[in-house]
Amino acid sequence: MDMIYLVFLIFLSGAVISWLAGKVNHVLQDILFLASVIVPSVLFYMNVSVGQEVHFKAGGIDLSWGITDFGWIFSLIVLGLGVLAAIYSVGFMKGKERRGYFYFNYVLSIMSMLGILFSKDFVSFFIFWEIMTWSSYLMVIYNGKHTQSIGIKYFIFSAIGAYAMLMAIVISHSVTGNFMIADLITAYPVLSFNLQVLIPVLLLTGFGVKTAIMPLHVWAPGAYSNSPMAFTSVFSGALSKMGVYGLSIVMLSMISHLPEGFWFREVLAWMGAVTAATGTLWAIKQDDAKKLLAYSSVAQLGYIVTGIAIGTELSILAGLFLAVMHAIFKSTLFMAVGAIERQTGTTNFTEVTGLIRKMPWTFLASLMSIIALAGIPPLGGFVGKWMLYESLITSDHYMLIILVFFSSTAAFLYCYKFLFGFFLGQEEKEWAHVKEAPVLMVIPMLVLAGLSFVLGTFPGLLLKPIDAGMQALGFAPTNQHLWDTSILFNSWGNQVALQPILYAILAIFVVFTIFLTIKGYKNTRYVTTKDISSSGEVPKEHENLTFSVNFFQPFLRAVEPVMRRQIDKYYNGFANGLEALFDFTRKIYTGNGQTYAIYVILFLIIMLLMKNNIFG
Amino acid sequence: MFKYIEFSIYGASILLILIGLYGALVKKSLIKIVIGLSIVDAGVHLIFVAMGYIRGGTAPIFSPGFENDASRMVDPIPQALVLTAIVIGFAVTAVALSLVIRLYKHHDTLRIDEIKNLKW
Amino acid sequence: MVGTPVLLVVIPLLAAFLIPLLGMIWKELVRIIPGLVLLYMFILSATLLNQVLHTGPIVEVIAGWRPPLGINLVFSPFSGFLVTLMTFIGLMVWIYSYRFKQNVDFEPAKKYFILLMMLVTGSVGIVLTGDIFNLFVFIEIVGISAYALTAFYTERNSAEAAFKYLFMGALASTFLLLAIMIIYTQLGTLNMADIASKMPEMNTTYKITALVFLLTAIGIEAEMFPLNGWAADAYTESPGPIGAAFAGIVAKAGVYAMVRIIFTLFDVEGTMQFMLYIGLITLIVAETTALRQDRLKRMLAYSSIGQMGLIMVAFGIGTAEGVFAALFLMFNHAIIKPLLFFSGSYLVYNSKDKFIHETNGMGKHIPVTSILFALGAFAIVGLPPFAGFWSKLSILTAAADENMIIIIALILIVSIVELVYYLRVVNRIYFFKMAEGVEPKKPTFNALFVMVTLGVIILLVGFYPDAITGVLHKASGDLLDKTKYIQDVLSLNP
Repeated sequence: MDMIYLVFLIFLSGAVISWLAGKVNHVLQDILFLASVIVPSVLFYMNVSVGQEVHFKAGGIDLSWGITDFGWIFSLIVLGLGVLAAIYSVGFMKGKERRGYFYFNYVLSIMSMLGILFSKDFVSFFIFWEIMTWSSYLMVIYNGKHTQSIGIKYFIFSAIGAYAMLMAIVISHSVTGNFMIADLITAYPVLSFNLQVLIPVLLLTGFGVKTAIMPLHVWAPGAYSNSPMAFTSVFSGALSKMGVYGLSIVMLSMISHLPEGFWFREVLAWMGAVTAATGTLWAIKQDDAKKLLAYSSVAQLGYIVTGIAIGTELSILAGLFLAVMHAIFKSTLFMAVGAIERQTGTTNFTEVTGLIRKMPWTFLASLMSIIALAGIPPLGGFVGKWMLYESLITSDHYMLIILVFFSSTAAFLYCYKFLFGFFLGQEEKEWAHVKEAPVLMVIPMLVLAGLSFVLGTFPGLLLKPIDAGMQALGFAPTNQHLWDTSILFNSWGNQVALQPILYAILAIFVVFTIFLTIKGYKNTRYVTTKDISSSGEVPKEHENLTFSVNFFQPFLRAVEPVMRRQIDKYYNGFANGLEALFDFTRKIYTGNGQTYAIYVILFLIIMLLMKNNIFG
Repeated sequence: MFKYIEFSIYGASILLILIGLYGALVKKSLIKIVIGLSIVDAGVHLIFVAMGYIRGGTAPIFSPGFENDASRMVDPIPQALVLTAIVIGFAVTAVALSLVIRLYKHHDTLRIDEIKNLKW
Repeated sequence: MVGTPVLLVVIPLLAAFLIPLLGMIWKELVRIIPGLVLLYMFILSATLLNQVLHTGPIVEVIAGWRPPLGINLVFSPFSGFLVTLMTFIGLMVWIYSYRFKQNVDFEPAKKYFILLMMLVTGSVGIVLTGDIFNLFVFIEIVGISAYALTAFYTERNSAEAAFKYLFMGALASTFLLLAIMIIYTQLGTLNMADIASKMPEMNTTYKITALVFLLTAIGIEAEMFPLNGWAADAYTESPGPIGAAFAGIVAKAGVYAMVRIIFTLFDVEGTMQFMLYIGLITLIVAETTALRQDRLKRMLAYSSIGQMGLIMVAFGIGTAEGVFAALFLMFNHAIIKPLLFFSGSYLVYNSKDKFIHETNGMGKHIPVTSILFALGAFAIVGLPPFAGFWSKLSILTAAADENMIIIIALILIVSIVELVYYLRVVNRIYFFKMAEGVEPKKPTFNALFVMVTLGVIILLVGFYPDAITGVLHKASGDLLDKTKYIQDVLSLNP
């Protein structure tokens, strides 16, 4: 059978088998799980090429699967991250219960994400989208009772988005006569104006929920922080990018052909920028690492959305590049938090500090990822951020630039908090026993950290596939390559001016440090953290010298008014109001049999009186 | 004069239906409701049979002297239908009354607006 | 040839009356005979269905009087499909309730199975008959068995539920008689095909009045709003498998009667629109009421009413795709709702009031039942890749092709409400701790067999909907073709 079928079949059967294998043997289950993720990925990259398609019918509907150049970029994220996080999960899940459940949902999530990229028709797209939703929902509620309301909130928002998408899908069917995505794209420019507005709005609602744009983001902090960290890396890294994938297709294939599409782009760009700004502010406020990373994810996704929304070649490049980079560094950070949680039992900054000597590899991976997140050269995040800023300036969006700059700068605050809070600072006695995380957990982190370094140095490696993908969507480059509009790159897509200077500076710095260390080696002596004296006072044992807690109080006081309005509260109020309304309407069924009979007679009388109005 | 008979039969049956509905919908006692439903049934049966009446017709039975004289017979179909309906109505009333007995044992009251354990 | 359609009505009727007699010979026969009868009926209807899908419909004449004078049974793709479905569900109900709760004793089992046989007789009769008074008789048969089955358990509020059902059922039969009377006096015939062919000549006022009476009467049976006050109580208080039988068998027969009246018998403009809007109101009221329930079976009952509303909306769209979607929905509902009732019964087995919060933590103790309940819940909401998704897609596609955007939006909003209340129960089953003093009951082998079979069918149809879409297309084509129906019945050779 065709290779594409085989890939999906292995995923599906692998999910079921690794669930059942738990009853037999744990090691066998781990091996089967890894196999069911790695084998199809390898098969995919070796045997399936872009443009290969399969067609079949189900229920009288034509379905068609095949990967495009654009989808190929995202498949890198999905499968690459999927394999690495799978290795991480095996280490993460040692000794935990319900492993079969975890593995089952994990494999299904990866399969459905790949399926979304493969779908050339809307029905398969929707089917895979929904499978992705409920398998990730089952992961969110993995931890038990207190996650129930969070899980339901996630599912409801996903369902609202998915049903909006479904409405757009059936409207598209009524217009084009079949469910093919390509047909909607070709038919789009000639639709009536109402439909031209309605269909993208509905589709964008669906994708916006997964991409956590405001105001559809309220599920994200809870869902990201409460699912097991091994899955959150995939959740925040790959799953949210599915929304980005859909968003890009809508914006690039449909809206860009519309003269009025300008307003769409502006609104969406603003929403993205506002999300970025408020997400960053909320991230700074958090004391729990998981929540911090969750809000930070929302903020980063805001950048990506702004990039894609603006619509110039450079901005879309920026958005997509940032998407891949975000997948890499955010998943590493979540993995690091998972490792810390496993070794220390908590993820709260106020409780855990000083882990740098005990978990050096975790620290190294987190350091690289934080540098990439903050957008500091020479790592990958810098390239993406530079392209974003450059595109915003060259397209004259000055107000947006201010917002984006502000949130990028404020992001430094929580980056610092993350690093300092966990790793630096004084060591506490209660964490003296902490050891490094198991090898299976450390290796994926280091691989991903290394990737962000490589992509930062040679961004052309990523820019070329993105270029090909964008051309597949219909973007014709004005110059030879799409990235030529930026001053940053040379013709191979590698950074041109900054790189050598930067490496020179780094080299000088490293040489200097080594020189100083060797020079002063004989004269150094080791001291503990508390061996200081400030104004003659020696700190006592119990005093906490870590000042990463609450050190930016003035800043928070300044932005307090912005953060007072929480969209979450509005949603809760709305839901409670609805439930009260339903409580009122259900009183129709009074329980008195005679009342029901009176309803019947009333119905009859009304029908008889109005019969000429109702019936022809 | 026959017209008055027909009208009075129709009128009487409609009156019966209305009385029965009144009893079923307004009265609170379970027994009165069941009786009301019975009366409604009676009214409907009556009106059905009356619809089949042909003036000057005779019973639709082939008897000596009246073979092949179907044109002078009353329509037999409504009568057959009503027979069936009477039996059905009787069975339903029987089931209803047994339910009333059970309800009385359970709730100790015969008022329908006090038997509201299942609501909303 | 295994048999003719009339056997589908006669044999269960005969069995129902023979059960007490044969029970005197050997007590176990009381439980075995219904099973054999239902199995035979299922095989017979499946074979006949296979036959009519290739050749034409079978019209069987009873007692030698040809239509339009006599009564006839019509086994067409549409009615045959429904009969097969109903007998299958009947078989499942029998397997499940073999020794369910009180059926372990002889006396209750005898009464239960007699009534079950009568229920199946009546429903199959409603679907097969071609005569309007015969329809009335079969509706009454179903009614009486249903009243008695609702009141089966004596320790609960079942008498109250049965009385309300009876009250409204009696009103329904009154209006049905009045409608039949109007039709007979105007058109002079009771045969459905004949009525259909003579309908254009009928006086409009009488026609519409008869239609109104008929809609009210059948609407009470088919759980239309505002005529469905009895339904929630009846589903809640009846025994679990009987709730499944109501949802899968009786309600389908009611919808069949309504559809036959609207599509075949009458030709009044605006009935489709009416069905559409009434169905929509039914759907909305039922689903929002289900959200606020705290008893499991009552919640399932309102969900069932809501699905009936959705089926009416699908019929009301009026196009061939709409009818196809409606039939698909009927099929899925008939498979999934019984699964929910069956597993739901075990989730609250030992509880007196069947509160939802008593299902806490059942996932650990009765894992297979819980997972099948979760499967049923996901399937009925319409999540891919389960069966319910395809039917939902087809109704939305049919509505979109007619540009009914607001209706699509309303259906989807109501689906979200549905999702919430099912998710709440599924969450409770798995992630809450079991309450004190609640003892889970492990399902017996036959119950597990039934639930697993239904679950497998859901998965099968979900992954491969083509298994039944062929039959459904033929059935929907058959329903919409009024002239063919008239022709098939009235042109029988002597």
